[in-house]
Amino acid sequence: MEKTVEKTVEKTLVIQRYNPEHDQTPSQQRYQVPFDNSTSVLDALLYIQQSLDPSLAFRWSCRMAICGSCSVMVNGIPKLGCKTFLRDYSGDLLLEPLAHFATEKDLVSDMTLFLQHLQAVKPYLIRQEQSAAITPATKPQPHKQTPKQLAKYRKFSSCINCGLCYAACPQFGLNPEFLGPAALTLAQRYNLDSRDQGKAERMPQLNGKNGVWGCTFVGFCSDVCPKHLDPAAAVNQGKVASATDFVIGLFKP
Amino acid sequence: MQILHTDIAIIGGGGAGLRAAIAAAQTDPNCKISLLSKVYPMRSHTVAAEGGAAAVTLQQDSLQAHFDDTVAGSDWLADQDVVDYFVSHAYQELVQLEHWGCPWSRRDDGSVQVRRFGGMKTERTWFAADKTGFHILHTLFQTSLQFANINRLDEFFVVDLLVVEQQIAGVLAMQLSSGELYQIQAKSVILATGGAGRVFHYNTNGGIVTGDGMALAYRHGVALRDMEFVQYHPTGLPGSGILITEASRGEGGILLNKDGYRYLQDYGLGPETPLGKPESKFMELGPRDKLSQAFWHEQQKGRTGNYGEHAVVYLDLRHLGSRYLNERLPFICELAKSYVNVDPAKAPIPIRPAVHYTMGGILTDGQGQTSIAGLYAIGECASVGLHGANRLGSNSLTELLVFGKVAGVAAVAHAKQRQALPSSALNAQCQQHHHQLQARFGTKQADNVASLRKAMTLAMEQGCGIYRTTEGMQQCLTTLLQLKQRYQQLAVSDHSKIFNYELLQHYELGFGLDVAEAMCASALARQESRGAHQRLDQGMQSRNDTDYLQHSIAQLMPETAGAASGSAKISYQPVRITKSPPAARLYGGAATKQEPV
Amino acid sequence: MSEQHSPRRPYLAPLTASWWLKHRYYRFYMLREATVLPLLFFCGCLIAGFYSLQQGESSWLNWLSFMAQPWVMALNALTFAASLFHAKTFFELFPRVMPLLPAPLMIAGQWLGTVAVAALLLLLLGGVL
Repeated sequence: MEKTVEKTVEKTLVIQRYNPEHDQTPSQQRYQVPFDNSTSVLDALLYIQQSLDPSLAFRWSCRMAICGSCSVMVNGIPKLGCKTFLRDYSGDLLLEPLAHFATEKDLVSDMTLFLQHLQAVKPYLIRQEQSAAITPATKPQPHKQTPKQLAKYRKFSSCINCGLCYAACPQFGLNPEFLGPAALTLAQRYNLDSRDQGKAERMPQLNGKNGVWGCTFVGFCSDVCPKHLDPAAAVNQGKVASATDFVIGLFKP
Repeated sequence: MQILHTDIAIIGGGGAGLRAAIAAAQTDPNCKISLLSKVYPMRSHTVAAEGGAAAVTLQQDSLQAHFDDTVAGSDWLADQDVVDYFVSHAYQELVQLEHWGCPWSRRDDGSVQVRRFGGMKTERTWFAADKTGFHILHTLFQTSLQFANINRLDEFFVVDLLVVEQQIAGVLAMQLSSGELYQIQAKSVILATGGAGRVFHYNTNGGIVTGDGMALAYRHGVALRDMEFVQYHPTGLPGSGILITEASRGEGGILLNKDGYRYLQDYGLGPETPLGKPESKFMELGPRDKLSQAFWHEQQKGRTGNYGEHAVVYLDLRHLGSRYLNERLPFICELAKSYVNVDPAKAPIPIRPAVHYTMGGILTDGQGQTSIAGLYAIGECASVGLHGANRLGSNSLTELLVFGKVAGVAAVAHAKQRQALPSSALNAQCQQHHHQLQARFGTKQADNVASLRKAMTLAMEQGCGIYRTTEGMQQCLTTLLQLKQRYQQLAVSDHSKIFNYELLQHYELGFGLDVAEAMCASALARQESRGAHQRLDQGMQSRNDTDYLQHSIAQLMPETAGAASGSAKISYQPVRITKSPPAARLYGGAATKQEPV
Repeated sequence: MSEQHSPRRPYLAPLTASWWLKHRYYRFYMLREATVLPLLFFCGCLIAGFYSLQQGESSWLNWLSFMAQPWVMALNALTFAASLFHAKTFFELFPRVMPLLPAPLMIAGQWLGTVAVAALLLLLLGGVL
């Protein structure tokens, strides 16, 4: 595909606006945006902010789908703005803030719950011998981990914390206390890491009423994940772990 | 105005800031640490770094070799005692990250894999696929969650430092979700706010890399050092500037001009190495400044291709095969397909240099301490003395860890022996800023933040690019001073309190103009060519160690009567040379001839 | 320092009972879950069958003629189709939950197992009946 520059071609973007200082409820505003075959939704939003309406609020940073800032609903589907291209849409685009999260302003969502859930699963390496501060004198060495061991969890460690999976997950939409795809995937990532010894510490959260059993494998989260890391698989692998944990628990004195 | 009290305030939640926070939290569990960031920490630009982090690892490597590579890479402008400390503490930091769970790529026997990188004699770059920065950042962020004494203030934007009698007293910050100003009193403050690449038009950086911390310190009299040294990364995607990692060359990628010729051999990086057999410091594994400069020359000669309106050369990875590419460079494959519609296994990727890294920054000593007691600076916003005139790839990620730790520990020690200052001393400063903030609002005009910012970035691209001339830089400086005047009259038309990004960008533009001016003035003053600063002017086209084996120091002069805003004054500071006296900077065949048998 | 009234007022769109109609993915999910409904009917039929077997020959014959009615046969045909559909989706999900072998292998294996068990049952029971 040759990069063409046809700035006269325009697309209509219908964007949900909400300013709590003036508005009771959100409304919609239309904008005409010139585009070519490389224009992303983020490019379009920046064009609007810079040339048409500086009050339009949205998060962004890296432009390359690695920071997770620019999550937005495009025609009802959760997407990353920087990796969604106007060339792929034949009609108007409807842009709304992430579903299932409260909207602070325009396309900016309140991500507090997301971070709380992430933190709740103890998403860090837990080992019996906590490393004291490492100095040259202690001559520390890395743990061994084979490529095969790394492959077990590496996919699940690639989550960019964009929140699209939460916007896709109807269980989170119905129950905001459900820990949700990203948090449960992160828990699974550490449980599968050969260097980790903290599974027992994470299980209570996973086994609990807002843990893995809140998932009914709708699977939409995996469909929208921009990193294709299959959070639905991680969560349901967590169910296997949880069930195993339960059965083993029956036999312990 | 709300007042918060803390022991240590860390500004910036990227690799350096998080590492400092963890170090401080570990050093003293009773120390209260507030981590402020204008974005959620996992959005920090560390996340976009791809290639890797360097540390001496293999048996055949040595601290001396890493030291020599770094000093030569810096074109002898690095402070060698700092480089010494850095190379000696690099390995333990990467091991510490591994202990915290970082998914480093491995060899079959389970040991950590290292790869070649530009300007490095031996393989010593640790990596996590081609998303090393991402994994380092997420490992640090997730690790930080276990410390109860790290209190995060997410989406808090620092608008000013609070300084009393050359001692830091805290910061003034705006909570983006409410627009409210907070007076945050702290005994130590660590700036970890990143670089300033966004003052240029084409760059690999995210929107947040606007030089905030540099300007904050600069406005309080702290010097900015070596600001003229801005690194152009040789391989950014045309238009967007999105980064294509150096690791793609470390794995054997080659650079071709429009005739399919590996042109780097014409620029002191030859002889041509066989396809699929890259050799350290030869051809595509030369240092970044030389590769970017070669592009410029090819462009002058009319040998570059075109992608839309952009001049490009081509990064050819086809010979690696799709299997190897998917294993070692999966992210690059994804980026090429999404943003320029190229499958690297089938076609070369069009690329061109883009501004990537700010070697210069806030002047600190080897411990991260600035000239204001209790104020530290680390990471890309600082000039600790490691990179000199040109940074070697994969030294920066390690730098975040080594000096992040140093500053975190030092900040705790400083906080312990500090008495808190009474609020009355700070209230006046805060009130004044509050008034100034209100004055920024007005009605919509022809001049706005976006148009002024565009003018700044285009001026910098034009005047302070890969090759510079006296006229070009002077023109740029004039433009910047005019823009600074126009900035004083600029009004923010959006009056909302909640998530007012126009206001945020207004602040960032002000910071950027100060930093850009320091860069341009420093560049104009350095009448030689060294590392990333190259001049076409007569008599200034090569290194002049006699006059310029020195760091440039930019200081903001206070506003004089009649002038709308302060401007930069440039002076010089000697470079600390210990083990490696300045020599010719050689790569490729020329370097091999020089090395003792 | 008094508490300032924050202008923040996050807006959460209420989730309606028809949330699942909004997207093809959700509708597919509900369809998959709905396969339990005809299955319930079939289970009811089986329970009624065991009961009528207990009650004696005339009861059993009544049940048999009930089962032969067109609408019952249609519903149970639907149940069979629904079970196959549910099995298909389950077999595809399972390798993601327990990634023991490459997915295509596991999916084929599950179908093979299903067919084998069904064939075995038909063989045994076919002999009896």
